[in-house]
Amino acid sequence: MSDTVTLDAPPGMGASFARALIPSRASDASVPSHEVVLSGLSQDRHRLADYARVTGFTLRDHVPPTWIHVLAFPLHVHLLADPKATVRLVGAVHVTNAMRLHRPVGVDEPLDLAVRAAAPRAHRRGALVDLIARAEVAGETVWEGTSTYLATGMRAPGTPDESGRPHFEAGPAQGIWRLPATLGRDYRRVSGDPNPIHTSRVAAKAFGFARPIIHGMWTHARALAALEQRLPGAYAVEVDFVKPVLLPGTVAFRAADAAGGWDADVTTRDGTKPHLRMRVRP
Amino acid sequence: MTHNAVVLGGNRIPFAKAGGPYAEASNHDLLTAALDGLVARFGLAGERLGEVAGGAVLKHPKDFNLTREAVLSSALSPATPACDLQQACGTGLETVVYVANKIALGQIDVGIGAGVDSASDAPITVSDGLKRALLKANRARSAGERVKALAAIRPRHLAPQAPGVAEPRTGLSMGEHQALTTERWGIGRAEQDELAAASHHHLAQAWQEGFFDDLVTPYMGVTKDAIMRPDTTVEKLGSLKPAFGGPEGTMTAGNSTALSDGAAAALIASEDWAAARGLTALARIVDAEVAAVDHPGGADLLLGPVAATGRMLARRGLTLDDFALVEIHEAFASTVLATLKAWEDADYCRSVGLDGPIGTLDRSRLNVTGSSLAVGHPFAATGARLVPTLAKLLHARGPGSKGLISMCAAGGQGVVAILEAV
Repeated sequence: MSDTVTLDAPPGMGASFARALIPSRASDASVPSHEVVLSGLSQDRHRLADYARVTGFTLRDHVPPTWIHVLAFPLHVHLLADPKATVRLVGAVHVTNAMRLHRPVGVDEPLDLAVRAAAPRAHRRGALVDLIARAEVAGETVWEGTSTYLATGMRAPGTPDESGRPHFEAGPAQGIWRLPATLGRDYRRVSGDPNPIHTSRVAAKAFGFARPIIHGMWTHARALAALEQRLPGAYAVEVDFVKPVLLPGTVAFRAADAAGGWDADVTTRDGTKPHLRMRVRP
Repeated sequence: MTHNAVVLGGNRIPFAKAGGPYAEASNHDLLTAALDGLVARFGLAGERLGEVAGGAVLKHPKDFNLTREAVLSSALSPATPACDLQQACGTGLETVVYVANKIALGQIDVGIGAGVDSASDAPITVSDGLKRALLKANRARSAGERVKALAAIRPRHLAPQAPGVAEPRTGLSMGEHQALTTERWGIGRAEQDELAAASHHHLAQAWQEGFFDDLVTPYMGVTKDAIMRPDTTVEKLGSLKPAFGGPEGTMTAGNSTALSDGAAAALIASEDWAAARGLTALARIVDAEVAAVDHPGGADLLLGPVAATGRMLARRGLTLDDFALVEIHEAFASTVLATLKAWEDADYCRSVGLDGPIGTLDRSRLNVTGSSLAVGHPFAATGARLVPTLAKLLHARGPGSKGLISMCAAGGQGVVAILEAV
């Protein structure tokens, strides 16, 4: 690996996405070895304001880590649209996401973004691919994110990790969120993620869902926004996307202190099944 | 037992013209930014304060608990209670008075008086007809009833309604009211433009001297008050066309406040609390008073504070000469000038129930770091801007220095207060 593809501007996601839609006939999961780099990206305050409105964050001079993920996401799409990739982003399931905010990042700071893929890992239902993103300001790493996708039915070397997910206990809701049918379109506008599974009933059905599902990263952002004033200037956050949320829909939220940070769950309305599990640690 | 309520400082974001750099920000965002800046400045992260009082004049229905929600988004302890107050343009001073009174009574030790307004994010509502039809349909017990209720909606009901800028009882906008006052008191164009130019020059000088370094925190890339025009002149202001009072009017966009976005917060505490924290008390909140005039009966809408000032000074046995500094909110340049004339006018003062004239102000003591014409006037934020500004100025002049604040407000109201340097 170690070669780098440098982009001059954020890649348009339409074309990359169209390529990413072409089904892969390969059964072995493979990913490009190069890193995609985009330097000096200025953040758009207007889009940040829109993002904050859609996800529930207060508009501040410092940005949420999920916003930096949104900025890095076109690089994810670009990387997996490469002819060397057999894993397709559309159809792959975003199963976990981990980020570390090393320090508060200002909306005025131009970001140098880089995304690469780690070697696919075996999973009992297919292959796991980690897309590893990094944001730097003048050579200092300010944010790192690892998005793990499951390419179902594909093969990857190694033995699946069978440790399973941490125990979930049903519990009462501390909050109820009502997600309108239009939320998928709203989040598409602020994230740029054009995947029709979030906005079209037909597309959702094609992937086995009765109705469109909200982007997992919206649910993640909304859960983080619910804790906003309790979060320190630097922290790590991990989420498991357990079960998609159909639109329109109603879900429950709860959070509790844990190990100097917070554990939070987005669950079914009755609190018995998790949609998203989040851990925030200093 | 009473306690001294003292101003420890304040924080605001730079004020800006509506539709400008804060166009995308809500009242919630602006107020949270002002609170978080104050929290950072005084090391209050995670602290439970006695109460935060805040408010906005233009408020969305969903923001019924605006200040509490901003507290929850701020770095203050979530156990800090908050309330919303609203007294039109006097809001930001009334919130400070509310907190100071609770401190004086020993009910709380420390609190924040705040205010915010965004003319960019003003609520647009549906017409009364549409609202009634929708509420009726919502109450309907059958599909038939619901259809009948909705059938009452007419195309004319569908036009959105901008927030009212006119006085409900007179139908006149604030500028139109002030134009009547300007005419009645014979306030000329040149003196208005001179006052406006002085406001910009004083504000610019204060910024240049770093006066606002510990009173303002940048937000959204704005580091200074964005309405300020340091290089404006009486000549430039003199070239503007009349905005109020008809073609012969003397009030222009230059000598009237601009619709603005901004938020401000003042930290108020008991002297004991301040001492225990090792914080410097700037000024004591000595007294305050609210008054109103009968503007539907023809009284000058924005001269409400005159009666309040007269009664408060009489109660305290003070005259204008006792004040080192005076802040008169510059809703319009002519509001300030008419207020000064009214203070000198024995007949007017008696007409509002005072014993005699309030007196003549030495103009060198007036609005020495600029005021709303140059800073901008996000309605509810202005009082919470004035208090820390005046407290800091008085503190620099030494213990015992007194300052007077006079603010006009819609509805013919006025809020006034006295600060005294500690």
